[in-house]
Amino acid sequence: MARMKREEWYNIARDVDWTRSYVDEEAVFPEWLSGSGKVPREAWRSWDEPYKCAYSDYVATQREKEGSVYAVKAALQRSNIFESLDEGWKSTAKVHFGAVSLIEYLAVLAEQRMGRFGLSPAWRNMAVFGALDEIRHTQMDLYLAHEFIAKDPQFDWALKNYHTNCWCAIVGRATFDGMMMNPNVVDIAIQLPFTFETGFTNLQFVALAADALDSGDVNFANMISSTQTDEARHAQQGGPTLEILMQHDPKRAQWMIDKTFWASARLFSLLTGPGMDYYTPLEHRRQSYKEFMEEWIVAEFLRLIEDYGLKKPWYWQEFLAGLETWHHSLHLGVWFWRQTVWMNPQGGVSKAERAWLQKKYPHWEEQWGPIWDTLIQNINAGNMEGTLPETLPWLCNLCHLPIGTAASPNNLRYPVRSYPLTHNGYTYHFCSRPCRQIWWEDKDMLHQKTIIEHLLAGEIQPPDVGGILAWMGLTPEIMGGDAYKYKWAEEYREPAPVAGAEGGSHA
Amino acid sequence: MSQRPARKLRTWSRFGQIRRVPSEYEIVTHDTNYTTRQGRHPALESNPTTPVNMWFLTYRDYSPLSAQDWHGFRDPDELTYRKYVTMQDEQETVVEGFLDEFGKVNHDANLSLQWLQMLATVFTPMRFPAHALQMTQAYLGQIAPSSYITNCAAFAAADLLRQVSLVAYRTRQLQMAHPDVGFATGERQIWETHPDWQPTRRAVETALIAYDWGECLTAVNLVLRPMLSEILLRQLGIVADENRDQLTWLLLSNLAIDAERNARWSAALARYAISKRPENAVVLRHWVQHWTPKADEAAAGLATMLSELPEIGREADTTITAAKAARERVLSDAGILTAIV
Repeated sequence: MARMKREEWYNIARDVDWTRSYVDEEAVFPEWLSGSGKVPREAWRSWDEPYKCAYSDYVATQREKEGSVYAVKAALQRSNIFESLDEGWKSTAKVHFGAVSLIEYLAVLAEQRMGRFGLSPAWRNMAVFGALDEIRHTQMDLYLAHEFIAKDPQFDWALKNYHTNCWCAIVGRATFDGMMMNPNVVDIAIQLPFTFETGFTNLQFVALAADALDSGDVNFANMISSTQTDEARHAQQGGPTLEILMQHDPKRAQWMIDKTFWASARLFSLLTGPGMDYYTPLEHRRQSYKEFMEEWIVAEFLRLIEDYGLKKPWYWQEFLAGLETWHHSLHLGVWFWRQTVWMNPQGGVSKAERAWLQKKYPHWEEQWGPIWDTLIQNINAGNMEGTLPETLPWLCNLCHLPIGTAASPNNLRYPVRSYPLTHNGYTYHFCSRPCRQIWWEDKDMLHQKTIIEHLLAGEIQPPDVGGILAWMGLTPEIMGGDAYKYKWAEEYREPAPVAGAEGGSHA
Repeated sequence: MSQRPARKLRTWSRFGQIRRVPSEYEIVTHDTNYTTRQGRHPALESNPTTPVNMWFLTYRDYSPLSAQDWHGFRDPDELTYRKYVTMQDEQETVVEGFLDEFGKVNHDANLSLQWLQMLATVFTPMRFPAHALQMTQAYLGQIAPSSYITNCAAFAAADLLRQVSLVAYRTRQLQMAHPDVGFATGERQIWETHPDWQPTRRAVETALIAYDWGECLTAVNLVLRPMLSEILLRQLGIVADENRDQLTWLLLSNLAIDAERNARWSAALARYAISKRPENAVVLRHWVQHWTPKADEAAAGLATMLSELPEIGREADTTITAAKAARERVLSDAGILTAIV
């Protein structure tokens, strides 16, 4: 009797559903959690994961992967790589740790939700591996970040960020709670494994791995490349769910994908855009954020949704236009409000870097140059107050990012403005039309105050920058500053080109 | 607030005043579920009255099983992901060794028809209750008030998937050796209709809707699973051994290691709950009393099959006594036995 191949017995492990008779089916699989909607119950029987994985395969493969990640880490432990890393790159790593580690853990809970309330046993089994994968990602991130705490306390925020009211944490919680925790499991599968993991995590993992390697951070590169190999497996829970949904309720599928893609795109323009186009040292940049998005996200995503018979999201032109602007506006905002983040953003606007930006984004100088010129002028005049904020920007009621960051100055098509909506006598503000529309459709779920609304409600005292920073949990040793202590501005001292004096210190 | 400069950080500030170097297990497990963050309003950054926010409030935050700080609980086995996959890969290698060795001597061909029918009635249908228990652990993980607990439950769910997989593997092997006994085709009907399985089915179906996290923990991890594991892994193993099926005995003994690990952390968690708030003992006892009769009925049904189906049966009372003893060991370890006997 030789060992059997997986396909000979695998279906028996998936044939574990039965007819419940001692309790109500609706009690075991409440509709609001299981989310079958218009899909007839029996349709879930055809749920079939494309990438089969048996338990023994799983532990063997994962053990090997863990072995190699930790071997590299152990080998590098006594090196002084950390000291030699570029400050800009370190900021990228800190953004990743603070923004991603605990979202990986939120995905553990989402996987467990699918592992309990998914309507197919095959799906529930896959979600068990998914939950393990996400524990792995959390633990790798935290283990790596923890090593640097003694050298740099900002790494403490790998664990701390999402426990605070830092605006970045609120942005992340609002987005991912909406994507992974509030919805039923069908919507989770469309939003998390399908749209987000299949569509977007390549951005964080592939692009960042390349940048990390170029910046000399072998541990980080190794860790996130290894993470991505897991995503490729558990992300496939999305496909079979979408196939079934497309047969019975394509409109719902389209909506879930459209809104998740938008929310993800907004978020990554904060999470990854500045890292790629500003923090990564110039000599190590392979592609601009826009180029990477066009190659890895836009093309891949369109191919993916067309395969399933879905249409481009309704806001497609607005999203494409955003690749030229969003992350530049957000970078400017993060740098200006640098005290509100747990890393040191690199200005990234030396003359050589600006030339690169202008080459990659032909409207860069026209749209952001004047503002940076003002900031540079203030730096060189020793007027540091002129480079720091006095209050907060107005925030979008959907994505919680500043109004104006889905736009750019001097842009006639997408100017800096709010897209308001009055509902029940209260006016909400949005950064863009899609954010406003998504909020309107999902307002029962998404109705949560922004920081500005907390401030206006008197919940933040004193209502000034100091009070806001304290409310956000930022302490002096954590608050960000410029990564290079403004040295990059020195080359602008003479001659001092000054254009458009507006901007810079305006909120 | 103190004006003294902050001391140099050596580990996560989330540990608070920690006077020792935290272990790797603690560094990667501590407080990673932000939906349990202090001062939250509400758990999720969305409308406070979304169904899931209300669910967290009802079944986790306002559970009768409560403590100031669940992040003080530690898994006695201190499992991290890396430790788990390494350990279980080793166990899977052990199991492969059993399968290879017994395969070489054509083990399945030599089993008696009566024993094969026993396997088809008790052993191979086991994948159904194991899957139901797997679902309960997936639930417990998402509703638990600390990442220390969630991870234990995630590994427990994976262990149960391991059990389902191994039983499925054996089911196919037995079917190939004996196509006419009903292996791989008859288990669902047996699980749904065999009178001696029904109390077990009733117990696990009911456990699936024990949505309070503390009740889920008590019902499944402290009462039901210890008893079911004792019978379906240990006692059935002994019966298999006595009926010359050493392969089944070895495989079940291996799976029992997982069940024992599960009982260890579950009892440690109950103990922790009581140490943090003595009133939790009353809460736990109440649930134990509620679930024990269901588990006892399940045990009686299973014990009947172990007694009547094989050539060399096991006295039903012996099996039932062993199952009760298994439960009492866990409850004793949990510090909640005294009040219910």
